[in-house]
Amino acid sequence: MATADAVAKVPRRMPLALRLAWRDWRSGELRLLLGAIVVAVASVTAISLFVDRLQSALIEQSATFLAADRVLSGSTPAPVELRDRATNLGLQQAETVTFATMLYTGEDKNLLASVKAVSEAYPLRGVLRVSAEPFGPDTVSSDLPLPGEVWLDPRLFPALALELGDTVEIGFKQLRVSGILTREPDRGGSFTDLAPRALMRINDLAATKIIQPGSRVSFRYLLRGDEGDLESAYEALAEGERSRYRWLGARDSSAAIGNALERAESFLLLGGLLAVLLAGVAVALAAHRYARRHFDHVGVLKTLGATPRVILQNFLGVLMLVGALGVLFGLLVGNLLQQLVLLYVNDLIPGELPSAGLRPYLLGAVTGFICLFSFALPPLLALRHISPMRVIRRDLVEGDLAGMLTYGSALVGTIVLLLWYSGSVVLTLYTLGAVSAVVILFAAAAWLALSGTGALGMQAGSFWRLALAGIKRRSRASIAQMLIFGLAIMLLLILVLVRTSLLSEWREQLPDDVPNHFVMNVTPDEVESVRVKLERISDRVGELFPMIRGRIVGVNGMTTDEWSAQLGNLFDNDIDNERNLTYSDQMPGENVVTQGEWWAQGTAEKLISLEDDYAIRHGLSIGDQLEIDIAGAVVSGRVSNFRRVDWDSMRPNFFVIFSPAMLEGMPTTFMTSFHLPREEQRELNGFMRQFPTVSVIPMEDIIEQVQDIVDRVTQAIELVLALVLVSGCLVLLASIQSSRDERLAEHGLLRALGATRSLIAGSLSVEFLTLGALSGLLAVAGAELAVALLQVQVFELTPRLHGWYWLFTPLAGALLVLAVGLAGSRSLIASPPMRVLRNLD
Amino acid sequence: MVSASNVAKKVQTAAGSLTILQNVNIAIAAGESLAVVGASGSGKTTLLGILAGLDLPSSGDVALAGESLTHLDEEARALLRGRLVGFVFQNFQLLGSLTAAENVMLPIELRGDGDALHRAEELLARVGLSERGHHYPRQLSGGEQQRVAIARAFACRPQVLFADEPTGNLDTATGERITELLFELNADYGTTLVLVTHDSRLAKRCTRSITIDTGQIVAETLHASMSDDDSAGSDRPAGSEL
Ligand SMILES: Nc1ncnc2c1ncn2[C@@H]1O[C@H](COP(=O)(O)OP(=O)(O)O)[C@@H](O)[C@H]1O
Ligand SMILES: [Mg+2]
Repeated sequence: MATADAVAKVPRRMPLALRLAWRDWRSGELRLLLGAIVVAVASVTAISLFVDRLQSALIEQSATFLAADRVLSGSTPAPVELRDRATNLGLQQAETVTFATMLYTGEDKNLLASVKAVSEAYPLRGVLRVSAEPFGPDTVSSDLPLPGEVWLDPRLFPALALELGDTVEIGFKQLRVSGILTREPDRGGSFTDLAPRALMRINDLAATKIIQPGSRVSFRYLLRGDEGDLESAYEALAEGERSRYRWLGARDSSAAIGNALERAESFLLLGGLLAVLLAGVAVALAAHRYARRHFDHVGVLKTLGATPRVILQNFLGVLMLVGALGVLFGLLVGNLLQQLVLLYVNDLIPGELPSAGLRPYLLGAVTGFICLFSFALPPLLALRHISPMRVIRRDLVEGDLAGMLTYGSALVGTIVLLLWYSGSVVLTLYTLGAVSAVVILFAAAAWLALSGTGALGMQAGSFWRLALAGIKRRSRASIAQMLIFGLAIMLLLILVLVRTSLLSEWREQLPDDVPNHFVMNVTPDEVESVRVKLERISDRVGELFPMIRGRIVGVNGMTTDEWSAQLGNLFDNDIDNERNLTYSDQMPGENVVTQGEWWAQGTAEKLISLEDDYAIRHGLSIGDQLEIDIAGAVVSGRVSNFRRVDWDSMRPNFFVIFSPAMLEGMPTTFMTSFHLPREEQRELNGFMRQFPTVSVIPMEDIIEQVQDIVDRVTQAIELVLALVLVSGCLVLLASIQSSRDERLAEHGLLRALGATRSLIAGSLSVEFLTLGALSGLLAVAGAELAVALLQVQVFELTPRLHGWYWLFTPLAGALLVLAVGLAGSRSLIASPPMRVLRNLD
Repeated sequence: MVSASNVAKKVQTAAGSLTILQNVNIAIAAGESLAVVGASGSGKTTLLGILAGLDLPSSGDVALAGESLTHLDEEARALLRGRLVGFVFQNFQLLGSLTAAENVMLPIELRGDGDALHRAEELLARVGLSERGHHYPRQLSGGEQQRVAIARAFACRPQVLFADEPTGNLDTATGERITELLFELNADYGTTLVLVTHDSRLAKRCTRSITIDTGQIVAETLHASMSDDDSAGSDRPAGSEL
C-alpha cells in the first residue's frame, strides 16, 4: 500500500522528536539551519587550525633569533637546578659566554671585539653563515670553530689587516683564524653589543684567563624543546634566583618581530571573530525562519492536544539533533578546508607546519553549541507560547519572536564567544561597540533611505514601482535585510581594508631600501668624510645624529629613587638606566609631537623632548626638570614636549632628545643608518679600512624576518577572507530565504493578476539591486568608522579615508545581493502561478 | 458535554476595549449537534475557540465533559483537548511538511498510542483516500485536504468535534460531500458536534442551531431531523475537484 511505502522509511518506534526532525529535514525546513551551523563550526575550526599552526610556525621561526626556544640570560652562569631539570626533561641545551675584549695580532695591531664563546650544540635554532672572503657571498655552515680556532666578523679583517690562517690573541690564548662569520642567529639588533664578533669554543675560555670575578660578561643558557617542558624547567628556579636572570622567549628576541607577530595575531583573530559573528547571524536567521514556519504547525499540534511541554521537548530534541549533526559535519569540513588551504599555500610557506592541537576542534564544537543555544534556541522557545487560536483566526497577530530573550541571549552568546575567542576584553568591547553603533545607525539610515526610495518609486516605471513598493511594503523586513546585508558586507570590508592597510603600512615601514645597517662611534671630525664615503656606496643614507650615553639622575629636585618610590609600584623604576641620547634643532622625521611643542630653531633654552610612552611610564610630565649624568657631568633641562616614535622604522630612534644648548661643550660621537643591498656588501671592506674605529651593525636579518612574517600572514589572511565571504553569502541566503514565503504569496498573486515572469524577475532584480546598493553604502560608512577605530586602538596605525570603496562597495553590494538573491528565489520565479497559489496554504 | 455560562470576551485594541462576546449561555448534551450561525464578524469563531478551550473567556465559565476550562492552564487544557476534542477548520490546517498519512497519524503519535500507521490507513480508507496517503497536502485538492483533515479529527475518537465553517473554502458540490462525510462519521462515532457555519442548510442538519449577532445569542431553533430538501444538493453539477 502506498501509504505504507511513504512512512516505511521511518522506524516505527522512533521517538516523536526524532520523527518530527526527520519529517522537517525531508521537507527542507532544517537544511538552512544545519548549513549555517556547519559553516559556523567549519570556519571557526579551519581558521583556528590554520592560525594555530601558522602561529607555532612563526614562533618557531622567530625562535631562531634567540638561537633557541628559551634563553636564561644573566651575569653569572645558569644555576645547576635549571641544568639538572633540563637534562631530566630531555631538553636540548647550549651555552654562550659573551664579553668585550681587545683582539691582538702579531703586528701589534689591536681592536675591541665582542667575543662569544659557545658550546658544541650551539645554535639550537637557526644557522651560522660564513663567507670565503671578507664581505664576499656567504653560505650556511653547520660547523663551529674547532677548539683552538676562532671565526671573525668580516669587519675585523681590514681593520686588523688579517687573513685566514693568521693567529690572534684573546687574553692569554692564541687562536687560529679559521673562518669568516657573516651571520649568527642571535645577534639581534642590540645596541649594547656593538663591537665586531669573534666566535670561539667555550672549552678554550679558561685558557684566556679573561673571565674573572667582576668582569662584565653575559652568560646565556639556551634551551630547546616542548613548550610545557621549557616552562617546567624554569619552575626549577627559586623566586630569588629568577630575579637575577632574564628568561627570554621568541617574542622577546626583537621588538620589531614581537610587534609584527602581535599584529598578525590580532588580525587573524579579528577575522575569526567576524566569521563567528556572521555565522551567528546566519544561525539566528535560519532559526527564526524555521520558527516562523512552525507557527501554524504548533497551533495545529496544540489543537491536537500537544501540551507546551511536549512542544518544548520536541523542538529541543530537533535542535539538539541538528546541533550535533552540524557540529560533527562542521569539524569535518573545517579540517578538510584547512588541509586544502595548506595544499594551496604549501609552496608559499617553506617547511612543514607543526600540527595543531585539539584546541581548534574544541573551539569549533563549543562555538557551534553556543551559536545554537544563544541564537537558535530563543525563537524556538517562544514557539510553545503560540496560541492555538491562531489556527482558527489567521489574522491573529504573529507572536513576536524577537523578544527580550532573543536579543538578550544573542548578546550574551556573542559576548561569550568574542571573549573566549579573543581572550581580550578590549577587542571584545570594541567589536561589540562598533557592531551595536552600526546597527543603530544602519537602522536609522535604512529607514531614511526607504522613505526616499518610496518617493522615487512614484515617478518610476513599472519595474521600479513594483520593486520599490515591495521594499516599502515589507519595510520592517527590508530594514532588517539591509541591516544584515550591510553588516555582512561591512565585516568583509573591514577585513579587506584592515588587511590592505595593514600590509601596505608594513610595506611602507619596511620598503626595499629600508636602512639595513647602523653606523655608530663616528667622531665629530670624521662626520663629513663618513657621510661622503657612505653616500658613495649607498643610495640611502640617513641623517647623522650626535649620540651620547647618559642617564637621568634627578627629577624635580628628587633623586630618581625618591621619584620612583613616590610614584609607587605602578610605574617602572628603570628610569635611571643608561640610554642613548641625542640633541637636535629639528625633530627627527617620522616622529610626531603628542604633547607640548617642538622648540624653536637655535633656542638658547635647555629643553628636553621625551618619547611619550617612556614619559608616561615614568610618571613624567611637561615642565618637569630633569638632571642627566653624562660621563660624570650633570646637566639639567626642562621637559618641553612628548613625541611618538615609530620603533618599527629601523632608523635610529631616541627616547630622549635635547635642545643643542644643553650639550654645549660635551664630547659626542655620531650615528646614522644606511641601506646597502646584500650583494654589494663587499663595499664595506673599503669603508672599514678607512674608518677602523667606526662600528657598523647589520640589521638585515631582522628586516628579512619581519618581511617574511608579513608574507606568511598575507596567506593566512586570504584564507580568513575566503571563509568570511562564505559565511557572508550564507547570511545573505538565509536572509533572502526568510522573506521567501512572503514573496511567494505576493508573486502568486501578481502572476494570477497577469504579471509576466519577466516583470516579476525584473522587479525582483531591482529590489535586490536597491537593497544591495543601499546596504553597500551603509557598509562602507560603517567600515570606515570601524577601521579607523581599529587602526588607532588595536593596530596602532594612523587612520585614513578609502575613497574608492565608496563607489565600489555599493556597486559590489548590489551585484552580490542580486546574484545571491536571484539564486535564492529562482524556483520562485520559475514556478507556474497555479503551484504558487497552491503553496499559499 | 459542553457548557458555557455568562461567557464574555473583550479584547484591547488601539481604539480601546472591544466586546466581541457577551452574556453567552449554552449547554450542549452528549451526542447532540449544534450549529452556530450568524453574519461574518458576529463572533462565531471566537465562541468556538472558547468552547473548545483554545482561548479563555474574559469572564464567565466554560466546561468540557464536566471539567471547568477556566481554571486550567494551557498545559492541562492541551491534555484535555488531546483526550476529548477533534477539530475541522475552514482552511484545513494540514501540516505541509507531512504527508496525508502522517497528518492523520500525528494526534495518535502525540497521545503515544501504538500502531498509528495502521489506524491512519483505516481512516484514510474511510474518507476515500486510501491511495493518497503518501501525497503531501499541496498535491491534494481542497476537498481532498478537508477529507484528510476530517480523518485526522476522528483519529483519536474524540467525544466532541468542533468544526469552523468546514465547507467555507470549498465549492458547493464538494462542500456537500464533505458535509455528508462529517455527519456520517459523526453518527458512526457518536460524537458531539459543534459546527460554525453561515450556511443555513448545513445548520438545519444539526439537531439545534443558535444565531449570534454582534456577540450575543439572538435566536435558538430546534430542528426535528434532517429535512428532505437537503437532497437538492445532488442535482448540482458534480464537483470537478474531487
Ligand atoms: N484578538 C482580536 N483583536 C481584535 N479584534 C478581534 C479579535 N478577535 C476577534 N476580533 C473581532 O471580533 C469580531 C468577531 O470575530 P470572529 O469571531 O472571527 O467572527 P466570525 O467568526 O463570526 O466571522 C470581528 O469583528 C473581529 O475582527
Ligand atoms: Mg469565523
